[in-house]
Amino acid sequence: MKPKLHEMFVSFLKIGALLLGGGYVIVPLLNSELVDKRGWVTKEDVIDFYALGQCVPGIIAANTTFFIGYKLRGRMGAVVAFLGLILPPFLCIIFLASFLGKFSRNVIMNDVFWGVNVAIIILLFLTVKEVWAKSVVDKFTLFIFLFILTLMLVGVSPSVSIVLSAFLGILYKKIKCICKGLKAANETREDISG
Amino acid sequence: MIYFLLFTEFFKIGIFSLGGGYATLPFLYHMSETYHWFSADELSRMLAISSITPGPVGLNVATFAGYKTGGILGSVDATMAIMIPSFIIVIFISKILKKFQDNFYIKAALYALRPATAAMIAAVGVRLFSGSIVLNMPKNPSSFLNSLSNGFLTPGEYIDIRAFMLLVFLFILSLRLKRDPLIYLLIGAVFGILLHFGHILNLFQKTFL
Repeated sequence: MKPKLHEMFVSFLKIGALLLGGGYVIVPLLNSELVDKRGWVTKEDVIDFYALGQCVPGIIAANTTFFIGYKLRGRMGAVVAFLGLILPPFLCIIFLASFLGKFSRNVIMNDVFWGVNVAIIILLFLTVKEVWAKSVVDKFTLFIFLFILTLMLVGVSPSVSIVLSAFLGILYKKIKCICKGLKAANETREDISG
Repeated sequence: MIYFLLFTEFFKIGIFSLGGGYATLPFLYHMSETYHWFSADELSRMLAISSITPGPVGLNVATFAGYKTGGILGSVDATMAIMIPSFIIVIFISKILKKFQDNFYIKAALYALRPATAAMIAAVGVRLFSGSIVLNMPKNPSSFLNSLSNGFLTPGEYIDIRAFMLLVFLFILSLRLKRDPLIYLLIGAVFGILLHFGHILNLFQKTFL
């Protein structure tokens, strides 16, 4: 049975309001709201779409929402799910942003930001550690990591770095493929001559 | 036209940022340097607020930065611009799901893009570190070395010792704790107030005495 659009909107509105502490919290929220409560998708769907959401550029939580929304009700479903997801955070930010001037003058609030910013350094470190564990698997990926880190620290534009690393990845894999082919060809030649 | 420029800049982030919320940060820092819509200092404040409000951090920061640049219209502009590329890509991929996962070029690109993303986030970490821990970068290395050799160097002159201690504490905690960002942010906020206890005392004196 296909869910109604307004039901989807309400479900994703809830998820958006509860999505505290970073995008990947969306997995347990999707599981409890869409799998357990509504039964619209399965746990495997959620994991698959979350994994796919990481391969697509943009915000992971929003990508996952697009995938699930599209599966449920097509293009309209993707739009409605996304709008539900972002409405609570959007209103929250607009509300706080209009007070930012007053916030910045408040000494105590600045102390809070001071502490939160230190905590964010640790969160960034943990994110890097996690991505590193999955992606820096050989000399080439280590080289890419160090190379891009250097580029970023000297102020090269992030878009350039991304395009460059994608290009290098494809180039490296292509060369590896060709080398493998040559080696295989050599071996068969040796087999024939020997 | 500020809204057009805002749109193209955030559209670019939508296309090129890969690897979650924090992956948008290098673009935003770059943006603050190029267009001066907001300063790097304001950006780290926006980041702090975005982290403790609901919603994906990357999207929240985009909304915030858009608001800072062009009011409510600017925030809608930035939020939509950052999402449109992934919307189109997701719709496209949903249709050819199987082929996408096995494509040689996609696989090869992602193979290099993932470590690149880790590096880009690490670079933001370095930037935030030097922003909130290192107080005064020694202007010229020779004077730094001089004071070092004369034994005049007091660490408090160059690093915020309290911030450094908090960082080490959180780091040790991260070795044992589960990875729930909310806990770290909460501890950071509480210690931010506690470590500057003088401020509360001051406020208290001003209001009641």
